[in-house]
Amino acid sequence: MRRGLWDRETVALLLIAAVLPMAAAWLWWGGAGAAGRLVWALAVSGAWHLVFMLARAQPPSFAGALAGFAVAVLSPEAGPLQLALGITFGMVLGELVFGGWGRNFLHPAAATAMFLGFGYPTAAWPALVLPVAWAAIPAVLIGVAFGVMPWRTAAGAVLAGAVAVTFGPPGLAPFAAAGAVVLALIVLDPVAGAATSVGRWLHGASYAGFLALFATGWVGVAPVQAAVTAAFLAALAAPLLDEIAIQAWLMQRRRRHG
Amino acid sequence: MADVTPALRPRPQRLWRIVSEPLIRQNPVTVQILGICSALAVTTQLATALTMAAALTAVVVMAAGIISLIRHHIPNSIRLIVQIVIIAALVGVIDQLLRAFLPDISRRLSVFVSLITTNCIVMGHTESFARRNPPLPAMADALGSGLGYSLVLVTIGALRELFGSGTLMGQPVLPTVEQGGWFEPLSLMLLAPSAFFMLGLLVWAVRSWRPEQAEPLDFAPPLRAEEVLR
Repeated sequence: MRRGLWDRETVALLLIAAVLPMAAAWLWWGGAGAAGRLVWALAVSGAWHLVFMLARAQPPSFAGALAGFAVAVLSPEAGPLQLALGITFGMVLGELVFGGWGRNFLHPAAATAMFLGFGYPTAAWPALVLPVAWAAIPAVLIGVAFGVMPWRTAAGAVLAGAVAVTFGPPGLAPFAAAGAVVLALIVLDPVAGAATSVGRWLHGASYAGFLALFATGWVGVAPVQAAVTAAFLAALAAPLLDEIAIQAWLMQRRRRHG
Repeated sequence: MADVTPALRPRPQRLWRIVSEPLIRQNPVTVQILGICSALAVTTQLATALTMAAALTAVVVMAAGIISLIRHHIPNSIRLIVQIVIIAALVGVIDQLLRAFLPDISRRLSVFVSLITTNCIVMGHTESFARRNPPLPAMADALGSGLGYSLVLVTIGALRELFGSGTLMGQPVLPTVEQGGWFEPLSLMLLAPSAFFMLGLLVWAVRSWRPEQAEPLDFAPPLRAEEVLR
């Protein structure tokens, strides 16, 4: 207790607690196939955490389990070997080489899903049942209430999404379910996203904006594919948004105080 | 690039050192990060990678020899123009030869053979080494860096072709699912980003094997709480 209660693993455990409603709904409606996928994803992800603990003395993290769950829910339905290859790529190159959870700038589950999507274009993207999307609402609420998910990102995404659905072209509604699940699992990760207040609003809004863009302009896209791609692009833009926010703050400060 | 002053007479050991240095220890691609553009573009198949590697090695060796021969006659102020004219002439010849004898591969290589003219490895070695050294060491240096480039190109080309389509030089190695086998090709390998990943992993592997190649940290990480309190 020398360093207090709030260390990295507390945050990871609270995040896992937050996504439990989604996990329960997903397992209930997914059955044995979903459970097998989850166990396999957790095993591969945990194995890589173990390798990096032994080789580089990097403490393993419960965030690996979180990423494993996100991979099981969101990545294309390729075979088990392909899934293991994708998790290896996403886990190692997306997170572990940077020094573990907290130092990465991309979500390993997003990297895994994109790798599988580009690597095996014939594999179908998963179709999410609606209850999982409903369960994303309590997940986000729990995460935000405990302060482990950035509420500004969530608010930015929900606001921009509502604007897009209300004033945008018709046909966006089917994408809202996948959008909510990806928001809870990938976009609201406290590490792989924007870190400034203004940057978080913009990050959330840009996620919803990308999703609306893909939903209308990308012919033949699966809802989960559009949402994961939107989250991936928004995460890539997040450092730029942070930089814009910091520069704007510096300029404001210079104008006020000389 | 080893330091060989014109006063020193080339001896076999020294020449061998000049040739072998750029293979791993001073590899132009993995250490100096030169010639990345073509390493990304032509490595989807082993055949194109091999052809490109051979073409570049031939050009850089001949260009280094010619420039080294006339090094005392090149006016300093227009040396780059002279070098580029010589390199471009050699590239033109190689390009015509490829079109005549390997038309299929030449079509797949498209502009990248012509772009050897502006390849950093060719320009760098003629400008920094061949201009100051006698022909034999200059050509040895060019051969070494050409072979170092070839080594990386062939490695990446072989891996990309093997995992992207299950073949090597067009010959099936891993039986793909379409042909009734077990191997499912990873189509990402045929896209340009995979070359970045392979190159990054290769650099990681080489620098883990030879830690002296790793670059110094940009900044020191802050002390952890335990270290401050101690």
